[in-house]
Amino acid sequence: MIDYKSLVQDDRIHASLYTDPQVFADEMERIFHRGWVFVGHESEIPNPGDFVTRRVGTEPVIMVRGAEGLVSVLINRCRHRGTMVCPADRGHARTLTCPYHGWTYDLSGALLGVPYPGGYGGFDKTANGLPRAPRVDAYRGFVFASLGPDGISLAEHLGPATRLIDRSCDLSPVGEVELTAGWVKHRCEANWKMLPENDSDGYHLGFVHMALFKTIRSQYQRVVGDEKTIRAVVRDWGHGHIEIDWSPGYEGPFEWLGGASGPAVAAFTAALELRDGPEITHRRLMEGPAHALIFPNLFLGETNIAIVEPVSVEECVHWHTPMFWKGVPEFNGRLLRMAEAGMGPASFLMPDDLIVAARNQLGLHAQTAPWLLLGRGLNRERVDALGRTVSHVTDETTNRGFWHHFRAVMTET
Amino acid sequence: MISDAQYRSAADFLYREARLADEARYAEWLALWTDDGVYWVPATTDPAADPERHLSHVYDNRARIETRVKLLQTGHRYSQEPASLMRRLVSNIEVTAAEAGELTVESNFILAELAVQAKHELHWWAGRTTHRLRPVDGELRMSRKTVVLVNAAEPLPNLAFLI
Repeated sequence: MIDYKSLVQDDRIHASLYTDPQVFADEMERIFHRGWVFVGHESEIPNPGDFVTRRVGTEPVIMVRGAEGLVSVLINRCRHRGTMVCPADRGHARTLTCPYHGWTYDLSGALLGVPYPGGYGGFDKTANGLPRAPRVDAYRGFVFASLGPDGISLAEHLGPATRLIDRSCDLSPVGEVELTAGWVKHRCEANWKMLPENDSDGYHLGFVHMALFKTIRSQYQRVVGDEKTIRAVVRDWGHGHIEIDWSPGYEGPFEWLGGASGPAVAAFTAALELRDGPEITHRRLMEGPAHALIFPNLFLGETNIAIVEPVSVEECVHWHTPMFWKGVPEFNGRLLRMAEAGMGPASFLMPDDLIVAARNQLGLHAQTAPWLLLGRGLNRERVDALGRTVSHVTDETTNRGFWHHFRAVMTET
Repeated sequence: MISDAQYRSAADFLYREARLADEARYAEWLALWTDDGVYWVPATTDPAADPERHLSHVYDNRARIETRVKLLQTGHRYSQEPASLMRRLVSNIEVTAAEAGELTVESNFILAELAVQAKHELHWWAGRTTHRLRPVDGELRMSRKTVVLVNAAEPLPNLAFLI
């Protein structure tokens, strides 16, 4: 039994949390196979029979829309001999048939038929469907699953962090986002926890991304100046949900989009004003979408959505896709180009993050000084009126928020 | 009808482009592009891929190609600092179209990349490339380069070098 209370302390953590295969096994069981995990978005499977395949932790799953329109998350493993039923990334099917002996399931996972049934005496088809995630729930189209039969509800897990999802979705005049551009998957030679930590780390930008800052202007320029002039903040929302908010540093609308003007923007603004009035619309266009990690694996990456997929203690995959706003297709081209600039193996940001993560992973194997410092900002963080801990954007308030929730999950009885 | 000389000039261009990319000769590689160049690495092998609707690994106009090269030239592009050690084989070269002064040239490649930035691992890359080549001031330049990786849709390691 690993003593997580001693490995995760309030202001320091032990390096073995990133390198010990037993820690990884415990995380899969407690965080990914019991808790709520993001699987995909309803817009990826708009019609009955549409499916995508994913992993919940290390469990292969199929997220499929059934004949009645209901979304199921099925374990991608035939009940008979354990064969993966569905090898494709995505597709459309009327039934799911195992290639090995032809066992056929409907879109809710119920077993429809078995070839040569005479070989089974008293066979109960209803007890031999594809295993299903016992709990599936969605918030604004974001589908989450829990492989555990009991535990807190999705609403309890998300808590006030639903506001972060709202912040991104409410930029659509009809309040919906669409993930229809396809995903890019970026392999990372580091422990999965480095991705949520790095995605919400406001301290590294001027260093890891120095090449970008030396080459072009971007919306992140305001966070590489003098420490005292940086106005962006980090927030810990509880339950491991953590945020960087760049918007206190923005001075005009659409800075998060690298600026925007023209007829498309005028039409977009008018559509939002019709729904929300000018004041709220102005605030939305100033703030832009969220930059936040929904524990453990959904990253609201401003104009992108990303998924953190653990592979092994030494490897993970970062998925991303641009977030299209339903009702404003004229932004999609722009959003595609922003996604390609920011994320993925050939982009201008993430390759540098992931190579530093790989070097981080290598360094963590050194046994000499195994404690990692997590105390930055303890001297100046504060709790705001909504109960969130807030601090300077370069502070480790987000790392602490992640790790303290990690400790709670790993030690709960 | 493609003349032997046209074929030879196209093949020479492909070999030279491959060598400049392998050897991280960024400024010389950038000079191979026309002013309206488009560099595309789709994130799928589906021939129906549309960069205006689907996410790509790379979909650079000329300005972004230049940004890509400038990043590499800063000395702080840590995903290519130091630059990967690379050699690629270019083969199966076919000139598939010649119209309005432009040649369309298709080829296959295999690339061995020693990624020396962290774990010093050898990565193998392979795919099919389509070049569109146009003479500018008597020299061939590329106006479009499309690289369809065989594993375009799989999880990829860093692709911060010039593919």
